[in-house]
Amino acid sequence: MTDRYITEEAFGPFVNAMIASTRVIGPVAKRSTFAYEQLESESDLRLDFDVTVLPPKKVFFPPAQQLVRFDGDTVEGCIEPVDTVLLGVHFYDVKGIDMTDFLFRANYADYNYLAQREATTIVASNIQAISPRAFWDSVGIEVQPKGHDAFLTKIDGGYLLETKTAKGDALITLGDFREATAGEVQAAREVNAAVMGRCPERLAYSTDAVATRVRESFGEEEMWDELAERCFSCGSCNTVCPTCYCFDVSDSWNLDQKSGVRTRYWDACLTREFAAVTGAGGSKENFREHHSSRFRHRFMRKTTYLNEKLGGPACVGCGRCSRACTADIADPVRVITTIMERTS
Amino acid sequence: MSHDNTHDHGCQCEKESLFLPRQAKILHTSKPTESEKHFTLQMSDGQPFVFEPGQILEVGVMGYGEIPIGIASSPTRQGTFDIVVRTVGRVSTAINGKDVGDTLTVRGPLGHGFPVDQLRGKDVLVVAGGIGLCPTRSLIQYIMDTREDFGRFVLFYGARDPLQLLFTEDRVHWRASKVVEYHETVDRADVHWTGNVGVIPTLFHKVHISPETRVVICGPPVMFRYVIAELDALGISRENIYVDLERRMKCGVGKCGHCQINDKYVCIDGPVFTYAEIESLEEAI
Repeated sequence: MTDRYITEEAFGPFVNAMIASTRVIGPVAKRSTFAYEQLESESDLRLDFDVTVLPPKKVFFPPAQQLVRFDGDTVEGCIEPVDTVLLGVHFYDVKGIDMTDFLFRANYADYNYLAQREATTIVASNIQAISPRAFWDSVGIEVQPKGHDAFLTKIDGGYLLETKTAKGDALITLGDFREATAGEVQAAREVNAAVMGRCPERLAYSTDAVATRVRESFGEEEMWDELAERCFSCGSCNTVCPTCYCFDVSDSWNLDQKSGVRTRYWDACLTREFAAVTGAGGSKENFREHHSSRFRHRFMRKTTYLNEKLGGPACVGCGRCSRACTADIADPVRVITTIMERTS
Repeated sequence: MSHDNTHDHGCQCEKESLFLPRQAKILHTSKPTESEKHFTLQMSDGQPFVFEPGQILEVGVMGYGEIPIGIASSPTRQGTFDIVVRTVGRVSTAINGKDVGDTLTVRGPLGHGFPVDQLRGKDVLVVAGGIGLCPTRSLIQYIMDTREDFGRFVLFYGARDPLQLLFTEDRVHWRASKVVEYHETVDRADVHWTGNVGVIPTLFHKVHISPETRVVICGPPVMFRYVIAELDALGISRENIYVDLERRMKCGVGKCGHCQINDKYVCIDGPVFTYAEIESLEEAI
C-alpha cells in the first residue's frame, strides 16, 4: 500500500505491460461517447473520459451471463473467471461496484458475480472531464468509495498511483514506478479536491432528508403520476444504472436439442411485466401495474429502501439515467428536487 | 497473474453457483383438477432434504426454466415431498409434462416458512384459498402429525367451484377427522354441491374463532384484504396473523429483484410474513 509516481512517457509502456500480462478493460472512445472495452493497446485508453454509456458493473455482471449448463439431466456450473485489470474507474463507479459487491454477497453469496469480481483488479482514476448531467459531488457524499485496489491521479508530468491492496501493489512491478514525493502526493490530493463542486447539476438536500421525504411521498399518487407521465417503460434508466442489478433468467438449447445453457440477462423494474405473475387460466396479477408505480419503485430503491443496508443512497450521481431517458424524466436531481419542494 | 488468462480458484466446491439445482425423481403423480398436477418427489442424490413447512422450492426442467413452488407436504413425512403445479405458462407446462420415472430440478428449500415455534401450544386457524392450499398443506400435515403440540385447529378452504377443489383424499380425511375442524366453501356451486356456497370470509360467520388464535392465510391477493377485515373484527392481533405471499420469485435467493416489496425480498425475507411486518409496506397486500 504505497504512493508511487510514474512519468507520462513511462505510463503508456506500463499499460502495454499490463495488456501483455492480462486482460485489461478501460474506457475507450466511441465517437462522441465512451465505453469500457478490452484494450488492445495503451493508445485505446481514454482516461480523459467524462462518463461511459454503461457502468463498469458489466465486467462482473455482464448483460448476458451463463449461470449453469446442462446436457440431458446433467447440470454443471460454469463459473469461469478471467484475470482482469479494470483500469480507469471514476470514484462514483467505485461506489456503485462496492454496492453491487455487497448485494451479490449478502444472504446467499452469488459466485457467478463474485468469482469474476475477485479475479479483477480495480484501478480507479481521477475525473478529468465532467459529464453534462453529473451530480456525484452532491449525492451520498457521506459514502466513501472503497473496494478498489489502486487509485491513479494525473498530475503535472505524470501519474500518482496510490495502491490500496496487495493486488494493487502487484501492478507496480509492471511499470517504471518510483516512490512518490510528498509534493506529488499533495498535488494528487489537490487535483481530486478541485473537481468537487464542479458538477453541472446539484442536489441541495442531505441523504437523510431525501430518504425521509421521498419515503413519505409514497401515497402522493397525483405527484407520482405527473412525474412519470411521459415514461415509456423502456427501462433505459435501469440498464445504465451502476447500482441496478435485477435480472431475468432464461434457458436456451444447443443445436443438438439435448444440451443448453441457463443464462441471466439484465432486467429492468420499469418494464411492464417485471412484477407480474401468471395465475389461473393465464390471468395476470401485476403487482406494479401502472408505469407510475414502477417509476416510483425505482426512486424508492435509489433514495430510501436500501439506505440502511448500503450506508447511503443507491445512487452515485453519475447522471447516466438522465442522459439515457428518452423522455428525459429520469433525472434524479430534478425528480428529487420536485418532491422536496412540494412539501417545503 | 497468469498468462493464459484463466483464473485458478482451486476447489470450486465452496464457490459453486447458487443456480446449480439438485435432481428430484418423480415417484407418483395425480391430476386433482384439469390444470393442476400433484407430484410426489424424492431427491435423486440420496442426501437428506431438510425443510420447514411453508418454504419454497425453485422447481424446473432444464431447457425451460424454473418457477417458485411452495412445498405441499410436511417434513414430518420423511423420505419424499410433494408439490402441486398449475399449468399456466411455459415452465409449468414443461413440468406438468413430466411423469413417474422422470426427474425435475429443484433448488431449495428457500425463504422463511410458517413459524411453527410460535404456533405451538396455540389455537391455529389456517385460511387457504384456491391453490393456496398447497403450501399450507405442509403446515396442516405438520400440525396433524404433531397434534398434541397445538391447541384447537381450524381449517378454512375455499375454491372457485367444486371442480377446482384440491386434495380430495385429504379432504375426505379432514371431514371425518376429530383433530381438525374443517370447513370448505365454493364461490359458485354446481348441481352436485351440497356444501357451503360463498367466498371464504362467509365462513367466519359460521364458526367461532377466539381472539387469541394464530391465523395463517394463503390465497389469491384479493382474498387477503377480506379475510384480514374479518380477523380485525374478531380482535385478532396483527402480530398473530401470518400471510404467505405470492410474487414472481425468479431467482429465489434475493438477487433478481422481481419479488421486491419495499426493501424486502419475498423469496428470502418471506414468503411468510406477519401481517404486522408488512401492513405498512405499500404494494404488499
